[in-house]
Amino acid sequence: MKLQEYTTSAHNFEECMKCTVCTAYCPVLQVNPLYPGPKQAGPDGERLRLKDPYFFNYALKYCLNCKRCEVACPSGVKVADLIQSARIKYDTHPPKLRDQILASTDFMGTLARPFAPIVNAVTDLGITKKVLDFSLDIDHRRTFPKYSGRSFESWLKRRSKEQAAFPEQVAYFHGCYVNYNYPQLGKDLVKVLNALGVGVQLLDKEKCCGIAMIANGMAREAAKHAQHNVEVLGKAVSRGLKVVTTSSTCTLTMRDEYPELLKVDNSAVRDSLLMATRFIYEKLEQGATLKFRADYHKKVAYHTPCHLEKLGWGVFSERLLRMIPGVEFTMLASNCCGMSGTYGFKKENYEASQAIGAPLFEQIKTLNPDVVACDCETCKWQIEMSTGYPVMNPISILAEALE
Amino acid sequence: MKPNEFDVIIIGGGITGAGTQRDCAMRGLRTLLIERSDIATGATGRNHGLLHSGARYAVNDAESAEECIRENMILRQIAAHCIDETDGLFITLPEDDLAYQQTFVEACRKAGIGAEIIDPELAKRLEPSVNPDLIGAVRVPDGSVDPFRLCAANMLDAKLHGGQVRLHTEVTGFIREGDTIKGVHTRNRQTGEETDYYATVTVNACGIWGQHIAELAGVKVGMFPAKGALLIFAHRVNNLVINRCRKPSNADILVPGDTVCVIGTTSTRIPFEECDNVAVTPDEVTLLITEGAKLAPSLSQTRILRAYAGVRPLVSADNDPSGRNISRGIVCLDHEERDGLKGFVTITGGKLMTYRLMAEIATDLVCKKLAVEKACTTAQTPLPGSEEKSYEAVAQKVWEAPTTAQKAAASRMGTRASRIRSSNRRDDDLICECEEVSVGEINAAIDRMDVSTLTDLRRRTRVGMGTCQGEFCACRAAGLLVKAHGCVERERKDLADFLQERWKGNFPIGWGDTLREAEYTQWIYKHALGL
Amino acid sequence: MKFDTVIMGGGLAGMVAGIALQQAGKNTAIVSMGQNALHFFSGTFESLQAPSERLAELFSAAGIRVHYRKGVRLMPLGTFKEAALSLDDIDLFPTPKFGRRVLIVNFLGYHDFFSSFLAEGLEKQGMECRIRFLSLPELDNAKAHGEMRSVQIARSMDRIWEKVAQEIRLLLKDEDTVILPQVFGLLDDTVPGRLRQAIPARVVFAGTMPPSVPGVRTQMQLRRRYELLGGTFLMGDQAIRAHEHDGVVHSIATHNLDAHYLEARNFILATGGLYSKGLVSNPFKITEPILDLDIDQPQDRNEWYNPTFAGEQPYMGYGVKTDEQLHAIKDGVAMQNVYAIGSILGNTRPELGSGAGLAINSAFAVVDQILRCTQNDNEEPATPVILSEAKNL
Repeated sequence: MKLQEYTTSAHNFEECMKCTVCTAYCPVLQVNPLYPGPKQAGPDGERLRLKDPYFFNYALKYCLNCKRCEVACPSGVKVADLIQSARIKYDTHPPKLRDQILASTDFMGTLARPFAPIVNAVTDLGITKKVLDFSLDIDHRRTFPKYSGRSFESWLKRRSKEQAAFPEQVAYFHGCYVNYNYPQLGKDLVKVLNALGVGVQLLDKEKCCGIAMIANGMAREAAKHAQHNVEVLGKAVSRGLKVVTTSSTCTLTMRDEYPELLKVDNSAVRDSLLMATRFIYEKLEQGATLKFRADYHKKVAYHTPCHLEKLGWGVFSERLLRMIPGVEFTMLASNCCGMSGTYGFKKENYEASQAIGAPLFEQIKTLNPDVVACDCETCKWQIEMSTGYPVMNPISILAEALE
Repeated sequence: MKPNEFDVIIIGGGITGAGTQRDCAMRGLRTLLIERSDIATGATGRNHGLLHSGARYAVNDAESAEECIRENMILRQIAAHCIDETDGLFITLPEDDLAYQQTFVEACRKAGIGAEIIDPELAKRLEPSVNPDLIGAVRVPDGSVDPFRLCAANMLDAKLHGGQVRLHTEVTGFIREGDTIKGVHTRNRQTGEETDYYATVTVNACGIWGQHIAELAGVKVGMFPAKGALLIFAHRVNNLVINRCRKPSNADILVPGDTVCVIGTTSTRIPFEECDNVAVTPDEVTLLITEGAKLAPSLSQTRILRAYAGVRPLVSADNDPSGRNISRGIVCLDHEERDGLKGFVTITGGKLMTYRLMAEIATDLVCKKLAVEKACTTAQTPLPGSEEKSYEAVAQKVWEAPTTAQKAAASRMGTRASRIRSSNRRDDDLICECEEVSVGEINAAIDRMDVSTLTDLRRRTRVGMGTCQGEFCACRAAGLLVKAHGCVERERKDLADFLQERWKGNFPIGWGDTLREAEYTQWIYKHALGL
Repeated sequence: MKFDTVIMGGGLAGMVAGIALQQAGKNTAIVSMGQNALHFFSGTFESLQAPSERLAELFSAAGIRVHYRKGVRLMPLGTFKEAALSLDDIDLFPTPKFGRRVLIVNFLGYHDFFSSFLAEGLEKQGMECRIRFLSLPELDNAKAHGEMRSVQIARSMDRIWEKVAQEIRLLLKDEDTVILPQVFGLLDDTVPGRLRQAIPARVVFAGTMPPSVPGVRTQMQLRRRYELLGGTFLMGDQAIRAHEHDGVVHSIATHNLDAHYLEARNFILATGGLYSKGLVSNPFKITEPILDLDIDQPQDRNEWYNPTFAGEQPYMGYGVKTDEQLHAIKDGVAMQNVYAIGSILGNTRPELGSGAGLAINSAFAVVDQILRCTQNDNEEPATPVILSEAKNL
């Protein structure tokens, strides 16, 4: 054997130089003294956990999984993956009922949708919130996302013929939020893609991407979803389709968390899974055009969601918005909103969640835009609840500005 | 009796000296231990840290094997916080002779070592890092031992029994009256202060340096220095000790120890003059990695933390001055009987594993000379810190909901961790983030364990033993040392020495992440901090 | 995406080049693998001996305050170092004895500020020192887990500096100077100045263990300036491959954008040295991972190191080879549209200085070279496709 084969470490956590840059950019550490911080929870802790799982620290649950540590790390250490993997591997507490409920976004959606008006009214009631707070530790100060009466899936199914007529086709992974809570975003996407001559198809029965399950200690269930989704994505990809999404978190989960955390091989579909903004940008770069209303005018402040920051694809959303002639664009300083999916719903995290988002909320209030643009549904809930400003997905702004 | 008078003076602060001091002190003797440097700076701190089951020696040296397994079982009882009961594997690879396995297992059984042939598939499940090509596996009661902690605990216990310790103090000569050694002349290497100490018996427990001490006393002990090089990897690759099931050879033991693992060793005869400054050569590094990867292939892609080498204190048998017949067994020389020199004893040879037995043999001889009739109790009495078997139990007892750093402290200090439970939150401040060592733990070491330099502190607490190799914690710990001894100028030099000492172990393996870290350390100390 | 110039590396060199090119009307992108060496910046631009108006302009437009004076500065371990151009946070003195009586103030529980070393260093210069610790509940509450670093403290200090000033006024006896850890002005760069005004003595900030608070702030200011000028900053991304044809690179692939290549007429390599992975090492050689550029280095690894830690380390001097105009050299041939700047040069170009000085000097040299070349070409500089289309719409 030659020493040539023996070069450098294949263990990502060993690339940590202990510089603590991650610590400087961790939003949780700034507000929650119980959290050990990304360096200690990640690469430092990993060495101890490899010695003995006893060194696992339950305070790792305070990690938002916002991945800002990874974006900041000058050494390319997958800090957040280390932390989440450790939680999956070593956290032996079964998830609480509350966490199971919060994690089961598609199941809850299926149940709630037919009774949407009642559910929406009830979850809005002070008394319900108090009950949820008391019995389930779901913070009563939260506003719940509304459920829509009709799912996006059924809306698009009825238009499948009309969509199939377009010369080019994409598949759309709409995610739980578009399907159950906010079909309008899906409709907006269809409008924009149609304007580019692209028809939209549903996948063959997608499931929730599983991020909420990962976050709530249900990795095994999440892996089942992952396997299912990789399969249905594969069907679309094998038909030569790209798959687009409108949620940065679903995209990151399916592209990166599946192989890294859930150990589900997605190599056959990963490169075909794109944010719709990237897909649209690339169409335009290749020569397609969109016609915008001459009378459209909006002051837009753009917030890059953490997971889009991690994907490194914020540039596509930014460029699309800047392209709209009537948009007065401002880039908000990169700052986590504090919601992080189901994290902010939990009573124990409410204060931290709001404190993390505070600088962002302040900046928005100072700017006083017509609308905040953002590619993430949970950021939308958080920003709308905390600032009162409306939040729109860049796709919806594009749709609104189209002629 | 005057303050400088003792029953027994022990020269050498390695494990043999510390163990001997403990035994003597527990038998009621007034003891002084003198060490020219710090504890465990010789062979004690420069080996694998393997808690031998004895299996390695079973085929060729039945006596050593039997000693090992007996002491192994004793140490599990008395030194719980210094020991990790991991178990070990002896694996047979395709290029090895599988027939040797049978010879090996039989020899183990004869020596009283529980050796069980297991299915290679089971071995892979028990130890996922093991070379998957293995064709045979034997499970034995190997483990790992932290030699610094063991040495410090022995010395601490000696002190708790009234013993005194002078570190960084060199023996410059003997006080001799006729044919009797009456004491030693010493010089403190930090202050230059010269002091004489007197005792009825002086024990030479200096390992390889024992030859020099014997010469000072006017007798001859022939030592044969053999260098062994080892590599430390940045994390635990394996949780079971992995050995090769064949005739002992180079780089065929991989030992998990605390947060790291260690591969070794090589064996090279070196001239006596090189003992004080052994360096690891590139060829040795190559050999260690290539051979090591045969035990656990992932080693080839694991960050190496440092390279180091030790010198085995091999003794030539008295009847063979040529040195060809070298013994790895325990050698206890009564110089009165052997050379007609009274009041002087040499205890040498042996190994880390058998230190307690060596100490017992030496102490028996000392007691005989002093006409003290007291039985040895070191095999039954736990070392300070080892009163509980597991650190989980300790941590849970000391703290209601221990943090990772508190758990780590419990794993290093054992029951003594209760001393660092504090209502002052400042005591929980972290100094070493890689190994999670707090202010409280460092202050406890400074208070009780004769720490005068950062390197001393490292041996007692693991400060600076982690991935960053002291880059961040050295400065912080230096601040605490200044508070303790009050001299910044001395500490400035200490800090520079510490960084130099770390670099010495880094550059032989200076590539990849290790070299990145080295460059970063250069920036911090030269450009950002201005050392 | 198409650009005039794509810069690989978002440290001081890459950022200065990016800002200067944007200012000159060029359209650029910076690909930055995480944060960078500015986070460990001492605050002094070493080897920049002459005050550069160009640099001062660039910095002042970014809101970065620098000052120039030949003298010495106080180092965190109580030593003094010659310095000239520095951030305003750093005081420059004509001689090491800058005061008579000094009050050194640290925060209880903060171990990354070396007050006793500072005191000893100043006493050697004939100054009288007193060390005091402030106990601040705000800091206690911020750390239950024992780790306290400069940036965490600095975040609190932006809010509570007035209270700190008040406490210091109470501590102050007859001292003419107060030394504080450099943990002020992370997000609000007016804090150090206001703190200085609020304390009736000269206030000197002494450095801490990294991260460097003024360094982090400088990085944020440079990035903000670059983005305001329309530059595309791709944070957390990394160039993984360059596509070249006949010695000319036409695009690079990055980790995040995979098949979406970044095309440009010029490429600047500012990926740093070994620490930043601009250079990588294995037991046999040191290589440049994106283009495999030429690097002079000894065959024998033993020659890479100086066994004395405090001595010059040869490995830190190795860098990619360049021609006069800083074109990177591969297989002995200069690549016409690839430039190397900053610490990836090692000390192959000693005339450009070292550290921050090298970063800035080489960045300006390459910017000038690029601008000269585009002037000579009559081609229109490339503009991003989307923006030009937007105008058509």
